[in-house]
Amino acid sequence: MAEKLIGQDIAPPDLVAKITGAAKFAEDFRAEGMLFAKLLLSPMPHGRVRSIDTSRALAMPGVIDILTADDLPAAEPPGERALTNEPHYVGEPILAVAAVDETTAADAIEQIEVDLEPLPFVLDPLESLRPDGPNARLGGNTIDGRELKSVKWTEADFAAVAEGKLPMGEPVQEWSVGDLDAGFAQADLILDDTIVHQSLTHHPMEPRSCMAYWQNGKLHLYGSTQSTARARVSLANSLDLDPQDVVFIGQYCGGGFGSKITMSPIMHVPALLSRKVGRPVMLRITRYEEHYIGRARPGFQAWTRIGWRNDGVVTAVDLYIVQDHGAYGSSGDHMSASAVASLMYQPAAMRFRGITVYTNTPPRSAQRAPGGAQIVAMLEPLMDKAARELGIDRVRMRRANAPDHDSRFGPNQGGLTSAYVREALDVGAEVFGWAEKSRLSGDRNGTRVTGVGVGLSPYVGGSSGFDGLMVIRPDGDLYIHQGIGNLGTHSFADTARAAADVLGMPWERCSVIWGDTSDHLPWSSVQAGSQTAHAHTRANHAAAMDAKRKLQEIAARDLGGSPADYEAADGRVFLRSSPSRAMSFGRAAERAIALGGEYSGRELPDDIHAVTVGAAGALAGQGLMGVAKDNYSHEGGTWSWVVGFARVEVDVETGEVEIKEYAGVADCGTVLHPRNLASQIHGGGVQGFGQARSQKWVFDPKWGVPFAHRLYTARPPGILDAPLVMDWGAVNEPDPENPVGAKGIGEPPIGAGSAAITSAIADALGGVCLCRTPLTTDVILAELEGRKQPYGRLDTHV
Amino acid sequence: MAVIRDMMPTFELLQPTSVEDTVALLQRHGERSWVLAGGLDSLDWLKDRVKRPETVVELGGVLELRGVRPTANGLEIGALTTLSEVASHREIVERFGLLSTAAGHVATPQIRNQGTIGGNISQDTRCWYYRGGWPCYRAGGNTCYAATPQSMNREHCVFGGSRCVAVSVSDTAPALVALDAEMVIRNTDGERVVAAEDYFLGPDIDITRMTVLEHGDLLTHIRIPSTWAGARFYFEKVRDRQSWDFALVSVASAIVVAGGRIERARIAVNGVAPKPMRLPDVENLVQGMPPNEDTAAAAGELAIRGARPLRHNDYKLPLTRNLVRRALRDAGA
Amino acid sequence: MTDIEIIVESEPRPFSRRSFIKGVIAAGAAISSTGYLFRASSALAGSPSARGSIPRLIALNVNGQSRRVDVLQQETLAMTLRYKLGLTGTKLGCDRAECGACTVLIDGVPHYSCSVLTGAVRERQVTTIEGLAAENGELHPVQQAVVEEGGFQCAFCAPGYIMSMVAMVNENPNPTREEAAHYLSGNLCRCGDYHKILNSAERAAEYARRV
Repeated sequence: MAEKLIGQDIAPPDLVAKITGAAKFAEDFRAEGMLFAKLLLSPMPHGRVRSIDTSRALAMPGVIDILTADDLPAAEPPGERALTNEPHYVGEPILAVAAVDETTAADAIEQIEVDLEPLPFVLDPLESLRPDGPNARLGGNTIDGRELKSVKWTEADFAAVAEGKLPMGEPVQEWSVGDLDAGFAQADLILDDTIVHQSLTHHPMEPRSCMAYWQNGKLHLYGSTQSTARARVSLANSLDLDPQDVVFIGQYCGGGFGSKITMSPIMHVPALLSRKVGRPVMLRITRYEEHYIGRARPGFQAWTRIGWRNDGVVTAVDLYIVQDHGAYGSSGDHMSASAVASLMYQPAAMRFRGITVYTNTPPRSAQRAPGGAQIVAMLEPLMDKAARELGIDRVRMRRANAPDHDSRFGPNQGGLTSAYVREALDVGAEVFGWAEKSRLSGDRNGTRVTGVGVGLSPYVGGSSGFDGLMVIRPDGDLYIHQGIGNLGTHSFADTARAAADVLGMPWERCSVIWGDTSDHLPWSSVQAGSQTAHAHTRANHAAAMDAKRKLQEIAARDLGGSPADYEAADGRVFLRSSPSRAMSFGRAAERAIALGGEYSGRELPDDIHAVTVGAAGALAGQGLMGVAKDNYSHEGGTWSWVVGFARVEVDVETGEVEIKEYAGVADCGTVLHPRNLASQIHGGGVQGFGQARSQKWVFDPKWGVPFAHRLYTARPPGILDAPLVMDWGAVNEPDPENPVGAKGIGEPPIGAGSAAITSAIADALGGVCLCRTPLTTDVILAELEGRKQPYGRLDTHV
Repeated sequence: MAVIRDMMPTFELLQPTSVEDTVALLQRHGERSWVLAGGLDSLDWLKDRVKRPETVVELGGVLELRGVRPTANGLEIGALTTLSEVASHREIVERFGLLSTAAGHVATPQIRNQGTIGGNISQDTRCWYYRGGWPCYRAGGNTCYAATPQSMNREHCVFGGSRCVAVSVSDTAPALVALDAEMVIRNTDGERVVAAEDYFLGPDIDITRMTVLEHGDLLTHIRIPSTWAGARFYFEKVRDRQSWDFALVSVASAIVVAGGRIERARIAVNGVAPKPMRLPDVENLVQGMPPNEDTAAAAGELAIRGARPLRHNDYKLPLTRNLVRRALRDAGA
Repeated sequence: MTDIEIIVESEPRPFSRRSFIKGVIAAGAAISSTGYLFRASSALAGSPSARGSIPRLIALNVNGQSRRVDVLQQETLAMTLRYKLGLTGTKLGCDRAECGACTVLIDGVPHYSCSVLTGAVRERQVTTIEGLAAENGELHPVQQAVVEEGGFQCAFCAPGYIMSMVAMVNENPNPTREEAAHYLSGNLCRCGDYHKILNSAERAAEYARRV
């Protein structure tokens, strides 16, 4: 039998298309008679449309039509629509013009008069919580469950703001476990601090451009999504269409990081404009527009108090997070952050209090390790501070608090499928050379001082219960249909290996089908929250086991013996005791077609999702079908871990930070694809460097207008901001709740990168936690020079 | 009425092939025209639709504006010479390494391949209020949005603010000031030569432009005298990202040391004032002094005397002080 | 609520950077802490010249072929390649010379095609990602190197990076890793896959040395 594909470096099947320019992303499609749309964006942070005069624009040659919020399906607040009559942030789209070309559409936008009534606005969550503070939304400033409400704190709550302490009024979300007072009473060291984490835009390389047309009552939408099958369903639901009437084409997604999980609201613009005018419509989203509508990570203003015993064990954690929510929807980053803190440090007693506050800033969504990436970057430097005061090695301290397989955490005290955290710390210390490198802490070389940091970062790594769908065709090849997306993680290809390995199929004879819902894709997880590596190795394993059973049954029927006597490998199903008694997969496929019933997909399992039923129905009769819902056991929460190690040099005369080296080591179960895992660890690490060091939002507080809406002002890290060489490693111990041992790994690397850098910078500063991200040159230099910090302790959007 | 970005409005593109034709076209189209060299600053304005010329005069075909030539007293660099050429030209590297180093610090390779030395020194400021099309003083309005108590002005000036607090962001400008370069400007009336230091204008002189260029003017060449050839050069640019970023503060210096003493010095800083700022007081102070830590410290302190930070840019004071120190320290290395 | 209109107008002098700007500031006592700045530009500055709006037929040399194409005078090379010549391998990531996804070679030198006027590259040789592989599909050594290293993640940046790598190996087939990083520093990868990109660049240089 062939060597298992899982664990090998195999490039994804789309690689040549990607590097020759042949790969078509959404904006690369053209359609006969295609029009171009342009958006009119709100110039004010909160307002209400009194009237719109489009007469001059519509009179221009080449202008075809205009779409406004009145043409869109309604949305219940705080839900968001593609266009609005009540803009809640500068840059929110108000209307769209369709014209024969973009130049005309842009000229037409300038001819439109929008009369907007200004409404109160607020950028800083704390301002909204003041007794007379404005609300970002007319219906309130926070959300409790699904209910919008207005929360105001008292003047007394704000009493310590002048000293830079987070005000902590009545929370909306809270939970606690254990006896907090007793926990702190046991502590030998207690530290508390106010910490601010910025909001930051996802800025995937590909802006969310989209093109749409209608044919025979079906919407064809070319868009950028992380999750193809789910984007089709969410788009259909949002437009009140039958999913069968939506064809979603998104074979390539130029990055998402949580900003393109399913459909994007803006997809309604070409979808509805093209329906209105009866012609295809392309909406090319610019980088400037992407900043506004492209989602962002919620910022935190937080306070924490942590207690440690002399041996470094955390006894109690008290955490308060005020979350900047943007203007729409419902975000739970602060809740996730609290769970991560509980998981990481395993305090016997913990209290979390929080509130999420609407602000007139661009909409938030999940961004790679939502909540997790913020909280680890905020808390890990405090761990270091405690380790320094207690005289304990920092890796040892993390080891002392790390959970194991039986640990419980969070408000519900749920368990874990596996946790090789100490192993990851050990491997990481080895890969990085912690024993020697940590001795470099504080070394001076001219004006540069060395800092060494370690950051631990866990995040959810898998869900379950989705469907697998595959067909062995008479050509003898295996066609694996994948409803997950292709945003660069390669999991659409890598998770298919679970099926190939079950069937002993060489990779050259496997075709992965993805990205176009007219190609019959099964019900799948969203490609978010690092679910797919886990969920779809399971689903593909289950469907492949179904195919294998059918192969065995057909072989036994034709060649004699019992099905269990047969094995499948290398495109043949053969008798174990006498391998020459065999049937090719091609022949088995022909036999499956002839036999019909479940063999060819004419009969389907009862428990698969309706979407899979539709897809399988369309494929029925084309070969031997493997189709199944993942019903494997899934006890406990699936969490993956990355520990990041960094060595930085801080120039004490300029405040500049150079990241000299970085290593990340993962516990993500069985490694599916080593080189790809390295990319996830390193790439996520680099995103974390940006979060810790340079990426920011800046708003003018008086006018509510953002400035960091271009890449050069938002400052994502470039190649010269990362170390030349980065190392990695993995524990590579299988997770017991996955048939191939896999756990997802997309999320944790960013927090590891960010926390390792915030920790290393604090180390270089002699243990001073600046308690803010990003740690830009000005912030660091002010500390080094003993000057006033450029921003107040609680300032946000700076 | 409504605003849209990222689509260039229509203009007429003129592509002359000689300096004579160029200045004639600029004279004819006057205030409605725009000079396009590498285009990186220009296209940014045009795509924002904030600046809307009727006519764009594109210089790519004016070959006489390209290249580096030796003169009787130094070098002459065509204004259209790309930053990549300036960064790698053998004679510039060998004799005036300050300029090649500065040019090599501009943005990215692609921008240096296209951007020109003339464009780099003549580019507009990056104040985000002004660039965003706000009706500020510099844009012809009657207020400065960057200098109010609430303004976001981390990247604005600490010297020379006068109604406007924007800074010059050119990397090569302070190097040219330190090298005592001269700018050769043509118009239909003929040629004039302006010292680098005088080429740049602060808002106290004219708030609507960054250089002495007026309608009809074309910067044709930059002359670098031999005065500082072979001096000890120091250039440093501190920025948030190591590529595609403007200087928070930069320093460019040329120092001649003889017999353990500083014989003469030119020091300029940028990113701190509306124009690249030469530091004559510091130059005078250090003349005749040994290039040691004490001199460096004194020079650094003097460099920031009179600086007036805004709400968020106090850090530019220690940063400027420390970069000037380093320049002096380097001279003694 | 009162709208206060402040109109600041002066002569349209685009070159002096003083242009017509109309500001409308609205504020009301009821919402004293809020304000609103209305920025506007249309029809206030120089009106577009009639001649400028007519496309010109020009000849371009792209990937070794002469292509005749109608272009607007303000049209950028990226738009011409993508929307007139069907060469969509050149990506628009920012359209502002900031990300490098649109990088093409002009006379062998990498440029941001989003920030080059098409009218300015007549007479010059333009090479795009589509022009690298041989007609028989054989990959360019740089592309082959990228394949060997497992490629990019989302790869929206890939065409631009590969063009920069091609220029790099042509100019210096023996770069250090640090030099390679500088050659590639005009391209942005938001997946952050810089380590692997540098591995690809080193391998590309190695292949280029062999050719």
